[in-house]
Amino acid sequence: MSETTNKKNGKKIAIAIAVLAVIALVFGVIYVKFAPKALAGTKNITIEVIDDKKETVTYNVETKAEYLRGAMEDAGIDFSGTESEYGLMVETVNGVYADYVTDQAYWAFLVDGEYCNYGVDSQPLEDGQTYRIEYTCLE
Amino acid sequence: MKRKLTTRDIAEIGVMIAALEAVKHALAFLPNVELVTLLIILYTLYFGDKIIYVIAAFILLEGCWYGFGLWWVMYAYIWPLLALLTYLLRKQESVWVFCVLSGGFGLCFGALCSIPYFFIGGAKTAFAWWVAGIPYDLIHCVSNFLLCRVLFLPLKNVAKNVCKRD
Repeated sequence: MSETTNKKNGKKIAIAIAVLAVIALVFGVIYVKFAPKALAGTKNITIEVIDDKKETVTYNVETKAEYLRGAMEDAGIDFSGTESEYGLMVETVNGVYADYVTDQAYWAFLVDGEYCNYGVDSQPLEDGQTYRIEYTCLE
Repeated sequence: MKRKLTTRDIAEIGVMIAALEAVKHALAFLPNVELVTLLIILYTLYFGDKIIYVIAAFILLEGCWYGFGLWWVMYAYIWPLLALLTYLLRKQESVWVFCVLSGGFGLCFGALCSIPYFFIGGAKTAFAWWVAGIPYDLIHCVSNFLLCRVLFLPLKNVAKNVCKRD
């Protein structure tokens, strides 16, 4: 390969790397601008847990937590799961395990009747909201 | 006419799938640091149409292992897309080209995975899902780029040696 061709290819690759870096920077800016923002201070919220037998336990919680996971801990809800890149993937709530592999079951998280857009570690809390944690099976 | 797979081909495909599963599970504890991208790029470059069988088996195995949830739909198109992009770049010789491909794939991983959410919950849900994962996409981008830069050439030599014996 000639030196000129090498130089041309080198330039193209440098441009491609620069474009990649710029796109990464733009993604970073989008994250800073649009990522869920936590609110400081005390919030009064309601958390409803609906288990596999459709029995509901309601928790009225006063919490200073910024995200749902903290409020669940403050409420005394017994929950566990697998830590993942998106935070905790909740698998067990109050002793009820949702087995996706065998039962196609999972714990659905809703805020004021709408599905949460984020996991428990990044779902921000707002005063007066009602969160529902519901055992759900795919039919 | 499509050629028939030989016993050796089947054995190679098996080893390639095993290597994919091994690196996936070995690095599972590090969020978005993975070698699956690099291996799929190398397989596509050096093992021809065997990549079709490898990716199909890998996707099916992942479904059997973790369940056929929504994430599995993402896997079903995201890895074939990487193989297709690599195939289009197969004549490139510079390692940097594949570093950019690998890094760019990692950077866009979340955006590509958010597509099913667009159909389920609309643009707002897909956008929120993508934005929440951007920090991990950035890690994915940097780790893919660096791993490709460090491991592409040695693994390329291994792949070439295996191909020579065919």
